Amino acid sequence: MKLKVGVFKFTSCSGCQVELIRMNEQLPELLNLVEFKYWAMASSKLEDGPYDLALVEGAISTPECIEEVKAIREKSRVLVALGDCAVTGGVPSIRNWMSQREAETIVYPKPGYIRSTRVYGIDEYVKVDYYLKGCPPRLENILQVFKAVILGVKPRLRQHSVCVECKLYENECLLTTYKQPCMGPVTAAGCGAICPNVGRVCEGCYGPMSDPNVASMVERLREIGLSDDEIVRKFRKYAGMSKPYREVAKL
Amino acid sequence: MGKASQLFKTDLKGLDRLIKKLRSDGYVVYGPVKRGRSWFFLEIDSVKQVDLNYVRTVLPPKKLLHPPREKLFEFKLGDGFEVSEKPMPPTVALFGVHPCDLKAIERQDEFFSQTPEDPYYLARRRNALIIGLTCTRVDENCFCLSRGTGPEVSTGFDILITDVGNGYLLEPGSAKGLELLKSLGFQEVGDEYLEAKQKLIEELKKSFTKQMPPEGLAELAKSMLEHEVWKETAERCLSCGNCSLVCPTCYCFDVYDVLELNLRSGVRVRELDSCQLLEYAEVALGGNFRRNRFQRLRHWMLCKFGVAGGGLYSSCVGCGRCIVYCPANIDLTEVASRLRGGG
Ligand code: SF4
Ligand code: SF4
Ligand code: SF4
Ligand code: SF4
Ligand code: SF4
Repeated sequence: MKLKVGVFKFTSCSGCQVELIRMNEQLPELLNLVEFKYWAMASSKLEDGPYDLALVEGAISTPECIEEVKAIREKSRVLVALGDCAVTGGVPSIRNWMSQREAETIVYPKPGYIRSTRVYGIDEYVKVDYYLKGCPPRLENILQVFKAVILGVKPRLRQHSVCVECKLYENECLLTTYKQPCMGPVTAAGCGAICPNVGRVCEGCYGPMSDPNVASMVERLREIGLSDDEIVRKFRKYAGMSKPYREVAKL
Repeated sequence: MGKASQLFKTDLKGLDRLIKKLRSDGYVVYGPVKRGRSWFFLEIDSVKQVDLNYVRTVLPPKKLLHPPREKLFEFKLGDGFEVSEKPMPPTVALFGVHPCDLKAIERQDEFFSQTPEDPYYLARRRNALIIGLTCTRVDENCFCLSRGTGPEVSTGFDILITDVGNGYLLEPGSAKGLELLKSLGFQEVGDEYLEAKQKLIEELKKSFTKQMPPEGLAELAKSMLEHEVWKETAERCLSCGNCSLVCPTCYCFDVYDVLELNLRSGVRVRELDSCQLLEYAEVALGGNFRRNRFQRLRHWMLCKFGVAGGGLYSSCVGCGRCIVYCPANIDLTEVASRLRGGG
């Protein structure tokens, strides 16, 4: 019996789904194991649930999204938040720090049609079984969730800091050695430290790690000369609505 | 020291010949190379690439004996269960290992030789050749002197190199090392070179500013589990794990399988872990023995003080890496001195 999978999208750039499509040569193998019942980006054949696994991309930003995500939850055995937008609201959530009207007029020429809510990740409204952090999550991690759900085991998605991966690759530390504002010490790993690997600071795109020490990180960024305003933007960028970052992001 | 053994002397060209000889003997040679603002143990083929005046590398030479991440074996479900071990790793020669790191390797040797032995570590270690290098300078974060782990060493190397000003003194530390030195035809010298070396070391000892003497520290720390220093320090700690990932004496690792999409074959991987990370002490159903940050920070320090973990096998050798790479400027020597009632 193949795993019945649905892929759904709310407010997002679709980058996470692109990551899934990017699998190319692994796709035939995956199709031996799963059947995509609903994946609007890949097929026009859209079947209703129930689904064994629902991958939900995108943030919730309208009253309609709220109803839809609840309906998907009801039809799905395992529900996965695919990517930062679904996990915490992601990049779209930066809109939460300006007025609704201001945001809408920037984006739409005729904002009269728009009815938006505050932007949240999906677990504000439904129970999420696994979180695939990242903007976008790495394909390897997405596939791991497929395998784990088929086998009925917990996927290994460790949430320790990016610094751990940085050290596995023995990068020079940008924060301690170069005093650059690297968000690695509070950011969840999973990307393989790809930014520090090429000498660029971690911007925090995987969102908060497990138990991040946000207050201390704020101090560290102050120490290397960031203004409060810059610090707030660092925390808002990808996961300002996440529980650990909310307080600083509003600072 | 003490025991008179054969001593040799050479120049930079001689060191280069040593490296070339090791390579022609089939060793992959690693030495301290500067990149950016830091040093790294990288593969070398000439002494010109090496900075003989280096202070410390980002990762200790441990990375070549106990790699941060390695595939242990491949497995396959066929008719039965097939396991294919990877071929023996290349034999490495570590060129230019400082005394603190030599001591750390000795601790890892002891730890991984306990029952059950660790075949992966020991296979690498048995074939490895280690060439020590007496330090020429120390920085504000070195404190091997107070740990009794440097800057003098008498064991843990096949050859020890010391820059004595007018050349490099070479001391054999094993039969293998002696044989190598003889085969290269280096000039034999007398004990006066040991005296010259000792004088340099005595001079070097004056440059240490940090200290963390081991005497009584383990017992003291064990009796002060509720000391406020743990909670205060943990307020700064980011639980990022940098400190233990760079530590030459940390040995903890995680083991996991990576399955192929066919769900019938895969690889078993081991990867460095750290007790500073929340997931480290997590058990089934999400239980966690060290959920609070201060418990994790305390555990890591207790281990380095010789209490927790493997006790003395993982205790600190004073290389200073954890201090240099802690984004929160946490310094275990300061915690130790507060436990002793200072500062
Ligand atoms: S560069 Fe950033 S991610 Fe890497 S170790 Fe330093 S702080 Fe951590
Ligand atoms: S290093 Fe940071 S910003 Fe870069 S991909 Fe990883 S989590 Fe994202
Ligand atoms: S505890 Fe720190 S100073 Fe001591 S050996 Fe480990 S990294 Fe070096
Ligand atoms: S338990 Fe000890 S050896 Fe293991 S990671 Fe912690 S400090 Fe290092
Ligand atoms: S490096 Fe510093 S901040 Fe990070 S876990 Fe270690 S003590 Fe804590």
